Amino acid sequence: MEPILNRAELMAADNVLLLLRPSNPPLSPAQKASADQRPPEQEVFLAIHGDGRIIALNGHVDLGTGIGTALAQIVAEELYVQPKDVQMILGDTDKAPNQGATIASATIQITAVPLRKAAATARQFLLEQAAARWQCQPDQLITRDGRVGNPTTQQSLSYGELVQGQAIHLQVDEHAALKPVDEYQIVGKSAARKDIPAKATGQFEYVHDVRIPGMLHGRVIRPPYAGRDGGEFIGNSLLGIDRDSIAHIPGIITVEVIGDFIGIVAEREEQADRAARELKVDWKPSPDLPDINDLENAIRNNPTDKTRTLVDEGNIEQALQETHKRLTRTYVWPYHMHGSIGPSCAVADIRNDQVLVWSGTQNPHILRADLAFLLNIDENRIEIIRHQAAGCYGRNCADDVCGDAVLLSRAVGHPVRVQLTREQEHLWEPKGAGQLMEVDGGIAADGRPYAYDFTTSYPSNGAPMLALLLTGVVEAIPAALEMGDRTSIPPYQFDHMRIRVEDMAPMVRAAWMRGVSAMPNTFAHESYIDELAAEAGEDPVAYRLKYLQDERAKELLQNTATRANWQPRTGSEAPGSNRTGNIVKGRGVAYARYIHSKFPGFGAAWAAWIADVEVDQDSGEVNVTRVTVGHDAGLMINPDGVKHQVHGNIVQSTSRVLKEEVTFNEIAVADKEWGSYPILTFPELPEVDVLLAEKPEEPPMGAGESASVPSAAAIANAIYDATGVRMRQPPFTPERVRNALEEAGVRPKLQQPTSNSRKPGWKSWLGGLSAATLGTLAMVSPWRAAIPEITQPLTSPYSAATIARGAEVFAAGDCAVCHTAEGGIRNAGGRPLETPFGTVYSTNLTPDPQTGIGKWSFTAFDRAMRQGISRDGKHLYPVFPYTAYQNISDGDMQALYAYIMSQPAVSQNNPKTELGFPFGMRPLMAGWNTLFQSNTRWQTNPTQTAQWNRGAYLVNGLGHCGACHSPRNLMGAEKTGIAFLAGGEVDGWEAPALNGSSRIPLNWTEPDLYDYLRTGYSEQHGPAAGPMAAVVEEMQQLPDADIQAIAHYLANLDEAAASPSTRSTAPQTTAAPVAATTTAALAAVPATANSSTTMTNPLNDASARMFESACAGCHETRPDWFGVNPNLAVNSNVHSDKADNLIRTILFGIQNPATSELGYMPGFANSMNNGQIANLLRYMRSKFASDKPAWQQLEQTIAHIRANPGSH
Amino acid sequence: MNPTATQTREITLTVNRQVITIQADPNSPLLFALRNDCQLNGPKYGCGLGECGACSILIDGKTARSCSIPLKAAIGRQITTLEGLSQNGQLHPVQQAFVDAQGAQCGYCLNGMIITTTAWLDHLTERPSEADIRNALKANLCRCGTHLEILDAVRLAVANKFPEADSAATRQPQTNQPQQDQTSTNPLEENSPWNRF
Repeated sequence: MEPILNRAELMAADNVLLLLRPSNPPLSPAQKASADQRPPEQEVFLAIHGDGRIIALNGHVDLGTGIGTALAQIVAEELYVQPKDVQMILGDTDKAPNQGATIASATIQITAVPLRKAAATARQFLLEQAAARWQCQPDQLITRDGRVGNPTTQQSLSYGELVQGQAIHLQVDEHAALKPVDEYQIVGKSAARKDIPAKATGQFEYVHDVRIPGMLHGRVIRPPYAGRDGGEFIGNSLLGIDRDSIAHIPGIITVEVIGDFIGIVAEREEQADRAARELKVDWKPSPDLPDINDLENAIRNNPTDKTRTLVDEGNIEQALQETHKRLTRTYVWPYHMHGSIGPSCAVADIRNDQVLVWSGTQNPHILRADLAFLLNIDENRIEIIRHQAAGCYGRNCADDVCGDAVLLSRAVGHPVRVQLTREQEHLWEPKGAGQLMEVDGGIAADGRPYAYDFTTSYPSNGAPMLALLLTGVVEAIPAALEMGDRTSIPPYQFDHMRIRVEDMAPMVRAAWMRGVSAMPNTFAHESYIDELAAEAGEDPVAYRLKYLQDERAKELLQNTATRANWQPRTGSEAPGSNRTGNIVKGRGVAYARYIHSKFPGFGAAWAAWIADVEVDQDSGEVNVTRVTVGHDAGLMINPDGVKHQVHGNIVQSTSRVLKEEVTFNEIAVADKEWGSYPILTFPELPEVDVLLAEKPEEPPMGAGESASVPSAAAIANAIYDATGVRMRQPPFTPERVRNALEEAGVRPKLQQPTSNSRKPGWKSWLGGLSAATLGTLAMVSPWRAAIPEITQPLTSPYSAATIARGAEVFAAGDCAVCHTAEGGIRNAGGRPLETPFGTVYSTNLTPDPQTGIGKWSFTAFDRAMRQGISRDGKHLYPVFPYTAYQNISDGDMQALYAYIMSQPAVSQNNPKTELGFPFGMRPLMAGWNTLFQSNTRWQTNPTQTAQWNRGAYLVNGLGHCGACHSPRNLMGAEKTGIAFLAGGEVDGWEAPALNGSSRIPLNWTEPDLYDYLRTGYSEQHGPAAGPMAAVVEEMQQLPDADIQAIAHYLANLDEAAASPSTRSTAPQTTAAPVAATTTAALAAVPATANSSTTMTNPLNDASARMFESACAGCHETRPDWFGVNPNLAVNSNVHSDKADNLIRTILFGIQNPATSELGYMPGFANSMNNGQIANLLRYMRSKFASDKPAWQQLEQTIAHIRANPGSH
Repeated sequence: MNPTATQTREITLTVNRQVITIQADPNSPLLFALRNDCQLNGPKYGCGLGECGACSILIDGKTARSCSIPLKAAIGRQITTLEGLSQNGQLHPVQQAFVDAQGAQCGYCLNGMIITTTAWLDHLTERPSEADIRNALKANLCRCGTHLEILDAVRLAVANKFPEADSAATRQPQTNQPQQDQTSTNPLEENSPWNRF
């Protein structure tokens, strides 16, 4: 394929016809009129090459709407070619004309006009060229399929042939004769999108897919004041970074720091990604935000920059006193996210004098000016190559990431690709602004709209590029932008009207988003007119039709109502009369035309909505069951394209109205992933019926976006029709609707669950350790003798069969689980094990003479295994399960020694275990052993089967199950008797009870146990996670018979003597339930909640939505998905007294499952805060374990576990 | 959490029926290896948490979210991406259904929609209900609001797999022939200024 020439190359090229126009860029919404205007230069709109190629150029870009297809249709129509013959170039700064930002759905309505004229001019020129050659009149000739022909002589020449050998530069004729609409063959007919086949096969190149030779990967680290862009602290909060904190990550090229800008460049993407998460950064504390969660007052208290009175007709002050019925209303609009599915990405290449930037920007030319300012260079040195990105619906982080990319490319002198993370896009994208609309007014005695005093407050600006602010190149002074006035004037006839706009600086980073300010303003207008209709006792549709001033609006509304089979209401039917049980049904209507651009602006398409809803008065859930939308865009270039855009706007705006609202913490935006900012999913879709007005004789209007604008009011009016309650602040979530119904007395108030304090955890476990007990310990034999070192023979004296047996014993003992560090060399030790007494590091188990156990004789090994005494005589801590290993048979012990000594020696020194007083005193362990090491060995029980005995041997000996699954007393000893296997704790994980005392809904059966131990997963109980995943992985090497034996023994644990060791000389420091015969008495494992309230219904609030968005996708049966889909209703951790395992799983995920067949789970530690996770846990408990008491003090527990992640 | 966990090693993958050997950290996300080492555009980074589905791939024919699966999980398994669905220049029937039903606006989520639908259909033995269809894509997010066209595409793909089923299940009759000319020749209804869709 021939390369596409840039503007300068085209101007110098031969064999081409160029259609030119002097540049005339419109002002950016964020650009001040005083900004330097560049002198006009010639821009190319159309190029027809000698080889026949037709290149059409447009300054607007494709934001995912398929606009390129529609533009090609327009050019093809005027040129009498097929759309596939027209290649569209959108947005590239060195090729396409500067036509300003791609906003307001204005591409077809405004920027396509010169393109169409260029094509018409070109056609006329080609006709004249051919006429001159054939010496006839141009009007004797025709054009068809890219050729000019003479019907009389049958002569014809292609466009390319007419251009060959020439370089023709023509000015676009502003008065060129355009093809009559009634002759259209292409425009007005649906065309398939040109880009979809490539997108459906992975051939399409988004900006995310740009790969440049030598390209490196960048990530940025953003400040903690997420989503803010005003105040002295912006760009001024970094205290320092610790470069050593990422020294362990290979491939790091540089860390660039400028002001509050921090970026990392690495060879590979995962290296940059990881370094960005692990780099230690110190920030100054950020000042508090106003309480934006109380949005009405936050906007009210936000200083107004300027009040603009747009309309002041009649005498509003007097009229307000004269109204027959006066209504004073306040409407509040929440902050929304654009929520692009792909976080923004850019590639920059700064080399020599040239700056190339591959970008998904909405406004390439404005971006170029910003980058020139950031880099302090002439903008002619910068070229923006525009690629499609994920749909953006307004200003997202697409420009910001270009700033990041140029700074990092400049730092390393290589091309750098910067990919923002999901968290960064969520936190920092300029939000669709919150808005406050206040209406005072009312009706006259005859019911007509009489007075309307409307004030709208819009705290937003154009969101300056982040890199400019973070580096301090531009001061972060909040500035207002006059953009709150879109559709600020209602379409109805009022006798007296005043419309005012309060332009105000943003409170958090905000900019335009689909239906900017028009959607909130219309929510107010259309909710209010609905109230007036009700006050007047008239049908809401009829009332609107009566007072609408625009004939086209009336026609559209009437047709939409007819289409929806609207049944007029007189006001005599009480709202809520359409009822089935607790479900009430209703219908609502709203109309709007999106008026955009600088006031008074332009009108885009007209749109009317009729929404059908069902409201569950118990739960507060609103179900939008059906939406009928009428849409009049005049001439539709590509009716299918228009229909798809209307669909998109219906679905997206329904999502915004029902579900969406950005939440904030004290200093910043709080929502970092889709669980905390959920959007509409497939099961929630309404039925949609769209009616497109076909008016080809009317000029084309901006399509699609208008369809968003009436949504909120239509749904709110339907809720009113269903319940009699007016909702004046979206989103209409169950909790907000419940509150409104309660306040209106439609629904009784419910008691909130009360909370109880949490029982102390392990800290009190330590606190109970008495001084007297310590004294007892210290008195007993402090030291044991060292056993002499040996030198291992060069060849193993053991047989291959013994070594093979030893391998099985080694697996059954799960030795490698603790003696291998995360990512470290097998059995070389160094894994930190969190115990209540401090961190114990596992030792090097390989036969290395210096750092391992190479100098240990079998005698020394045997003593260590059975008595917990190291070769040199030091006592080992009982985190090493010698109390269990004493039960290993002599033969197994020999084989184990043989196996370990046959393994490769690894020289590795591990961190020394240092525990705080008194546990740091190893001699005390001698006393511990006296107290707790069982004196009895496990013995075969002749009354049981061989399988049972084999299971018992493995569980009590090698398997050392009790080391984790038995509770320990205050001194760290496993409890025995009926506390055997009654649940314990390891490395911060709860090891659940294996006897009958667990909290699970379904008891463990022998097949369950077998499945779990063999595969790491039981459908009835969930997957093995944390340390247990590693245990199951090790046990993969055990023969099936052994796994069956363990399952058999554990399943029959309660029937037989619970433990081989029912006698202990140890002082029991809690009331020892020695005489208890039921395992129920053992319920008192740590952290049993007190008599907490048991919930009966699952929570139905943001936590439920978070679960649905973040968790539910995987946690339901999906045989077509890789890995298991654990059912949380039977999951042991959800039913446990402690939330710890669930918290660990949510925070850190499951990245090392027992087997990879089980699949993986991501960790949410970086994406959810403690409060969000606590809410999620409350929901899961209420939903899946409603018979269990609510967990208490969750946020503290989460904070503790976050700070103590353990090593599994 | 442990500094030693970034050891790069040689890893052999089978991606779209081709064997490729790369040097990478086996614990790093599979998505990065597919995009950067295998140079594939199909799987997209969307959330890194398995919430949105943009990164979906097939592992041994089942849907997997490559952003939150480590590279090591792919060892010894068959990986198929969007690029690998079509064979010999012929679109996979699910891809064709999405093209025919115009099931994309920006198209960033399209990879996940097609991959998820493919694995789901492959595992179906009975004709699914409308609720089944919606549930199958419940955990795939689309922000453009292309849901209606995407559902049309899935219904079309379902009808292809279960051909004896009622063809009215597809809202728009569509052909499965690759379109040479991308311009539809179907004129709009001419009787009324109100064209029904």
